[in-house]
Amino acid sequence: MGRETFISKFVNLADEIKKKYGVNLWLVEVLGKRHSYIAGHKEDSFLPPEPIYLNERFAVVSNEWEKIPEHEKEALIKALKEEV
Amino acid sequence: MLLNLSSKTTEMSSLINKIIKEDEIERYLDNGRDFINDEEIWEKINKHANPDPVQVREILAKSLAIETLEPDELAVLINVKDPELWEEMFATAREIKKKVYDNRIVTFAPLYCGNLCINNCLYCGFRRENKVIKRRVLTIEEVKREAEVLAGEIGHKRLIVVYGEHPATGAKYIRDTIEAIYSVKVKTKKGYGQIRRVNVNAAPMSIDELKMLKEVGIGTYQVFQETYHHETYAKVHPKGTVKHHYQWRLYCHHRALEAGVDDVALGVLFGLYDWRFELMGLLYHARDLEKKFGIGPHTISFPRLEPAANTPFVQETKYKVSDEDFKKIICLIRLAVPYTGMILTAREPAHLRREILALGIVTQTDASTKIGIGAYSDRYTEQELERQQFQLGDTRSLDEVVRELAEMGFITSFCTAGYRCGRTGERIMDLLKTGKERIFCKLNAVLTFKEWLDDFASEETKKVGEKVIQKEMEELKEMVSPGVYKKLLEYYQRIENGERDLYF
Repeated sequence: MGRETFISKFVNLADEIKKKYGVNLWLVEVLGKRHSYIAGHKEDSFLPPEPIYLNERFAVVSNEWEKIPEHEKEALIKALKEEV
Repeated sequence: MLLNLSSKTTEMSSLINKIIKEDEIERYLDNGRDFINDEEIWEKINKHANPDPVQVREILAKSLAIETLEPDELAVLINVKDPELWEEMFATAREIKKKVYDNRIVTFAPLYCGNLCINNCLYCGFRRENKVIKRRVLTIEEVKREAEVLAGEIGHKRLIVVYGEHPATGAKYIRDTIEAIYSVKVKTKKGYGQIRRVNVNAAPMSIDELKMLKEVGIGTYQVFQETYHHETYAKVHPKGTVKHHYQWRLYCHHRALEAGVDDVALGVLFGLYDWRFELMGLLYHARDLEKKFGIGPHTISFPRLEPAANTPFVQETKYKVSDEDFKKIICLIRLAVPYTGMILTAREPAHLRREILALGIVTQTDASTKIGIGAYSDRYTEQELERQQFQLGDTRSLDEVVRELAEMGFITSFCTAGYRCGRTGERIMDLLKTGKERIFCKLNAVLTFKEWLDDFASEETKKVGEKVIQKEMEELKEMVSPGVYKKLLEYYQRIENGERDLYF
């Protein structure tokens, strides 16, 4: 899958999560210690950001993972890992 | 690899042709011109020779709203002569800094990896024809040793790594040194020390080379234009050198942003030309980046010319900037590009740094600074001009500087969180402009300062530092939600217990 297609799928999923749980998710590219913002919702709380790594290159970050039910979070990460 | 390029004109020409890619300049030009119009800048400065105080205050309100100024507006401020208006301008600059970055001063150290250079800049101690300089390039192992001292003994978390322009210290060498520095991890008193952000000060590069640096996690890419005045630029960077090409340098930040390196840093070497013109140049530069990429400069630096070995140009220039004008320059940069980070370095003497830091306008400073090649691990204490680019004005230790800042009421921050969780580029721009970033700054300053105090501070510094932390935490209690504050307390305790690198 191309990078742009993956990003666009991520944005759709992030929109769904935002709508359902009010949680911001954003996608970052991992470059050494640097995590560069690519797409997604910008955080509006000051809680610590926690990345979940999809592979060596990409991670999804949120500061409110706990608001998403565990099974749904797992399904989301699994889906993104398959797509990336 | 010590190339003697001075007598090899053909070799130099082919090197210039290899380095400079005209298509990576032309794509950014507007109607074939760069964004610095020398005549227009002087017209604007002269047009606003007698500013109206009402207009000045309107402009200050715009700065306070964290909006980048128009060139005409900066020209108005540059021309202010009334001391009372200047007081208002300094007060506004202080208020802006607090609004955007709160009470923290980020600290860092420079690390010079090599002083070979193919250029011949009249003002620079490292110019290729300066025979008194001892030339050296650090091996990767030597770079690691430098990083071990910086991270493990002094406690720095952030570096600006500096390279001369030379094939021996090109993009691949830079990439390897970045990786080497990030790989260093040193046991400390209660935890461990690591360099968490490697910023790079190097020659202009091509988009492909910048992509290579992006891959290994470069922090900020910093290149100073030195002077924006075309004629002066051509004069001080002689023909037949790579650096002579004004536009190759001018558009290197554009190339970096196109390559995906989304933190770029600007600067001027004050003393080469009229400081009023240079300030306007900086503003035009910031505005062009904003216009084309939506991302302005992460930081702006404002070094002044300093004495260097066998470099008479420094004494001869007629554009030397006085201390009073220097303070005005700092104030005007804050007002013109309100969201930007501002770096005051150890080029300046301790007494002046103290005075400037107390103004509450700048955001970053260095300490325990050494600029000789291999100087940290060689452990020499005196400055040796033959292996330095210039002479430092302030060689105080980090402990002394941190203590002084704490006594002034500032918290020293070792925060590198932003670029490690996606707060970069346009995202950081939004956070800075809306005043949200200051909260992250404050939270992370507390945590990283606590780490440093526990691992590296003298008892005296620890005592005054902890008082500052208490004050900051009391303020944070009022500024953030109970959930965030609870998390801060939890992280603080975990750091107390020896955990490291926790951040918001």
